[in-house]
Amino acid sequence: MKLLACVSQTWGIARPCLVVCAGTLTVGAGAPSATQNAGANTYTVTIEGMRFDPQTLTVHRGDRVVWINRDLFPHTATATSKAFDSRSIAPNVSWAYRARTVGEFDYGCTFHPTMRARLVVEPRAKAPIARTNRAGTLR
Amino acid sequence: MKPRYAPCAAGLALLTAAAGAETGHVTDPQIAAIVVTANQVDIAAGELARAKGQSKDVKDFAQRMITDHSGVNKSATELVQKLHVTPESNPTSESLKRGGDENLAALKKLRGSAFDKGYIEHEVAYHQSVIDALDKTLIPSAQNTELKALLVKVHPAFVAHLESAKQIQSSLGKM
Repeated sequence: MKLLACVSQTWGIARPCLVVCAGTLTVGAGAPSATQNAGANTYTVTIEGMRFDPQTLTVHRGDRVVWINRDLFPHTATATSKAFDSRSIAPNVSWAYRARTVGEFDYGCTFHPTMRARLVVEPRAKAPIARTNRAGTLR
Repeated sequence: MKPRYAPCAAGLALLTAAAGAETGHVTDPQIAAIVVTANQVDIAAGELARAKGQSKDVKDFAQRMITDHSGVNKSATELVQKLHVTPESNPTSESLKRGGDENLAALKKLRGSAFDKGYIEHEVAYHQSVIDALDKTLIPSAQNTELKALLVKVHPAFVAHLESAKQIQSSLGKM
């Protein structure tokens, strides 16, 4: 029970925290920010003036992408392939996505068809810390 | 056939008159009234189209107009309250209101595809008029920096709405 309570509480804190973090990240929109997992970065895409900024964002597998809506009405970030779909993001609210699938994803706002952008997810080049396998060679 | 396009002509004429009236200087309280009225007019037309529209594209567009223009009006209202600006009625806001009322009355007489075409045609003219007013009068005249920033911020939305309306208008024309 104690563990369950703890997990629940963690989630309770984690969700609002996500929004707060997104607010601070807008300064460096599109640039990597504080990491949560070793080697994984968080990137921010700002939605403002009916466009996604940056228009093309390249990240590595495992990175987190946060879309923050700075417009006065809702938007979505929806991949054409449906690989991800934020659903409605209210004004001044953010939505986060962990990029687990490598590929190039054209996406847009389902409410405003003129808004288009692209997310590129590349394979992680190398492990953050070099480890040896059983044969003793570097992986 | 004549009644089918009569409302569009009336709406166009009034909106053009509204845009034409904005040739002189307007004060911030007058700009506030124009912005709020312009949004209200399009929200009202959107509510009618959401209920009476025939095609899904038209109904979706109408919903988007309601949502987006309500969002703009919420921010505009909050800003004028914060700035202690009281919206001041003026010839342009009155013309917009009158044009909106007449458009609604005319659209209510239409149904089916004629309604869709009439609504979208008016949306194209309306958004073009508002964009012209923003570019030529409202943004250059705004004195308060926050009010000016709000106008600049909403400008791309009107442009995107116009583009969507034109696309729908084109697809309706092919039906």
